[in-house]
Amino acid sequence: MSSDIVLPGQPIPIPRGPMPHVGNGLYSRDGTVRASLIGVPSYAGSALEIKRTRPRPPAPDSIVLGLVTRLSPLQAVVSITVVDGVPLPAGEEFTGVIRVQDVRATEKDKVKIADCFRGGDVVRGLVLSLGDARSYYVTTARNDLGVIFATSEAGATMEPVSWQEMRCPKTGKIEKRKCAKPEGM
Amino acid sequence: MAQSNFDRRRINGPEESFLPIFDSDEEEETRWKPGNPRIGRGARDIRPIFLKAGLINQANGSAYIETEKTKIACAVYGPRQSKSTTYNEKGRLNVEVKFAPFSCTRRRVPIRDAEDRSVAVQIQQALVPAVRLELLPKSTIDIFITIIENDGMEGCIASGSVAASAALADAGIEMLGLVASCSAAVVGKEIWLDPTEEEGKVSSGTLILAGMPALETITSVWQSGSMTPTDAIKCMEACQERYMDIHAVAAQALLQNAQNT
Repeated sequence: MSSDIVLPGQPIPIPRGPMPHVGNGLYSRDGTVRASLIGVPSYAGSALEIKRTRPRPPAPDSIVLGLVTRLSPLQAVVSITVVDGVPLPAGEEFTGVIRVQDVRATEKDKVKIADCFRGGDVVRGLVLSLGDARSYYVTTARNDLGVIFATSEAGATMEPVSWQEMRCPKTGKIEKRKCAKPEGM
Repeated sequence: MAQSNFDRRRINGPEESFLPIFDSDEEEETRWKPGNPRIGRGARDIRPIFLKAGLINQANGSAYIETEKTKIACAVYGPRQSKSTTYNEKGRLNVEVKFAPFSCTRRRVPIRDAEDRSVAVQIQQALVPAVRLELLPKSTIDIFITIIENDGMEGCIASGSVAASAALADAGIEMLGLVASCSAAVVGKEIWLDPTEEEGKVSSGTLILAGMPALETITSVWQSGSMTPTDAIKCMEACQERYMDIHAVAAQALLQNAQNT
């Protein structure tokens, strides 16, 4: 297998037949497909790609995990720490913003940020766009997106009871959150 | 008073002191004289290169290069979010060069000066065309290069570029190809490749060429001193021929590193 490792700039022989879709870690120039990463090219569906194991900046459509750092009536600021399942190195977080209209898909005008997120919550979101100079725009408007980890005022880890409520196991108090649907339910 | 804890009761030495530099007789004999062939190696030979990637483990990617008395460590951090307030469609490549205080024959004050910056600019120029910055919007890649030992500025720039490109590849940053770089000096009527500091001093002009051998493209040409156009072209051809070997060394080192992990 080791002989199959390619280096940046190395041309990749393409078998006869239709030209594969050039995916991650590859580029085509002057009709030749070349690698732009170190790795082993492989097919993922119809696309030829080199898998990357290193963290990378968020791009539109990537699933990110982040920590809510600041709330305002218009938006929640999250510090993105995991992109597509790859954790970023410490101190290299990206900032994302969940705007009030991106919190959920329905009844967008009735959303109150304070009833959906609290500081310190861990949120799973989808990157909508590159956003502005400072932050990426993130949405939680999907069943599987939203708060996945939160602590109550009493300090205990809460469990979701509905898509907009979480219960503290210690006090039994119910707090409002935009919860993500737990996986495997 | 410059220093608050200055001891006035005793005799203080001067603030700065340097070792006396002697011209030894031995050195006089081995010094090159005009008309003689190059000492130590052939005119078109380069110094042997040792390159290893991934030696600095807290960095995203790193490389260490050694060519006889030139020793350079390079670390790559990022891509991380740009601190600037303007929106950038393309990523930024930030190169910082530091000379260790003991890197030169005379102690270097560990403050960034004009020389550090000019070396950084030249290395940045050699690398930028090779990195696919269009894939990294709003991000910055930081490259920190520490020159541990310096034997000729030309060699430092060339080796620094090679090390930085190896470190970028090690960091998993998408590149069009590996960058190789070679320097040349015109001494008398000859062209000497990869000049040392001594050889740089006796030369009339120097040239540094960087490119991507895999794509047969040149990324940067830097010429200083006086040189006829024919000499410049000859230098470029000689460099271009030789940086294939440098590219092979870098490729070998990266391949070995990839196989071990």
